[in-house]
Amino acid sequence: MLNAIPSWLWYVGLFVVPVAFVVVASFGSKVPGSAGRVDFSHPSLGRYREALDQTLLTVLIQTLRTSIVGTALCLIISLPVAYYLATKVSESKRGLLLALLIVPFFTNFLIRTMAWRIVLAPKGFISNLLVDWGLRDSGLNLLDTRFALQIGVVYNYLPLMIFPLFVALDRLDPALREASKDLGANRWKTFVQVTLPLAMPGIVAGLVLVFVPLSGDYITAAILGGAKGNMAGALVAAQFLQAQNPALGAAVAVVLIAAILAILGAFAVIGKLTVSALRRHRSVAVVSR
Amino acid sequence: MRARGGINLGLALITAATLLFLFIPIGFVVAHSFTDARAFFVWGGFTTRWYSSMWHNSQLTDSVVVSFKAAIGSTVIAVVLGSFAGIALARRPGKWVAVFMAVVLLILTTPEIVDAIGLQLWFVKLGGPFRTGLLPLWLGQSIFSSAVVTLIVRARMAGLDETLEQAAADLFATPRKAFMQITLPLVAPAILAGGLLAFTFSLDNVIIAQFVSSPGTSTYPVYVFGLARSVVKPEVGAMATILLGATLVSLVLVAIVLRRSGESASKIAATFTGTN
Repeated sequence: MLNAIPSWLWYVGLFVVPVAFVVVASFGSKVPGSAGRVDFSHPSLGRYREALDQTLLTVLIQTLRTSIVGTALCLIISLPVAYYLATKVSESKRGLLLALLIVPFFTNFLIRTMAWRIVLAPKGFISNLLVDWGLRDSGLNLLDTRFALQIGVVYNYLPLMIFPLFVALDRLDPALREASKDLGANRWKTFVQVTLPLAMPGIVAGLVLVFVPLSGDYITAAILGGAKGNMAGALVAAQFLQAQNPALGAAVAVVLIAAILAILGAFAVIGKLTVSALRRHRSVAVVSR
Repeated sequence: MRARGGINLGLALITAATLLFLFIPIGFVVAHSFTDARAFFVWGGFTTRWYSSMWHNSQLTDSVVVSFKAAIGSTVIAVVLGSFAGIALARRPGKWVAVFMAVVLLILTTPEIVDAIGLQLWFVKLGGPFRTGLLPLWLGQSIFSSAVVTLIVRARMAGLDETLEQAAADLFATPRKAFMQITLPLVAPAILAGGLLAFTFSLDNVIIAQFVSSPGTSTYPVYVFGLARSVVKPEVGAMATILLGATLVSLVLVAIVLRRSGESASKIAATFTGTN
């Protein structure tokens, strides 16, 4: 307990207080002519009225759509990869594959995002290759589009989904899958009714680890999305770094957090309902047999 | 049997395609660091000149130096805080553990932009040392990392037999001695992996650095991000390739240490990515 006191001080002083500051600042107002100061003398909801305009709502919906699609794609790609690594390969081969998967995770975030500007360049290697092979009439025209942004976020956040899924699947006792087969379940049934429910903690961890940072990310969008791929985080940053209106930026940030929490809550409810539906389905299956 | 073979082949192909997807952009970064063109994103024939000219680009080299200074400071903080907290969480269970873990999880799941603006508001208010030099970067970049190190050290401690420490106590070791001679060497591999992760996070960090850094302490990612919408010189790619090489070497070294301490490949992967 004593050993954790420095951490307590750190987390309260550098996380709890600053985040509380954001919430408080969202009720303040801009000090005219100042560089980024907040006036707290007349607390009001004025910044929220300013924040909740059409621009923010459009960008917010776009942000959440990009995040939800990105998270779903990460899950769809990661499940077979993690399952293959955890259950199908030998220990030595697994070590090699895991090592390969770790390398991109440790490569500089900004550099690997910018790398896609080379990959997708209209006159780049891949674009020329597609034209030469007759697969396309003209070069790729994907940079600064929502599509490029979507590729970029999946690329950047994929490892954050693969690893928790792998760890969860790796921990499952193979005897459980064998038992399920011995009891007459086919492979698909074993996967859906035994493996998947038991790996749920890993899946949930992966979903949260990808969805939350992705929703707040505006770096990937700034590099790959152009004007069409704006993310809500960029609106927050612009109020602080350019418009010098922290109160408004803070209000936008609070709206963003509320939206993220609402989506997570909705996911949790949908997840619970799905799991209980699967359970009911399973008991019916057992009874019918 | 044939269906099974088909499924396995399908899974292997998806895994191979995913690896290809992950490595193609990195391959292009390395290749384009040798481009004989003015811009990094354009291919114009082969040259190695960026690897010598980049050392004269003082903005670039200065930013890398700042990044390393920031990363060293925040990693030291994260490792010290995370190790003590991780050990305490595993060995001194109680009601506080749940509260502490809740804070750690909140830190890990709060979007970075929110931390960043909060820190800026707070540091502007505090002023003085919080607005000058490297201190704001050290503090700002240590929060997320120390939470990750805490989780890694806690997981390693949970897997260690507590009787080893009790035996040391029975053999008349003072708590301090038992800690230094038994506990610390046992968790050292986890601390090392956590430190490497913390260092990487710091070198990657754009958002917090953008908001808290004081004048003259522009980090490498902030410098590169500032260029990203204009012309990025291939020198940036050459530097990125060198840093990638350094990362690979340190990853291999830490993996060897973890392997020697008896961890399986799966466990090493989990430790490296903070997901255990």
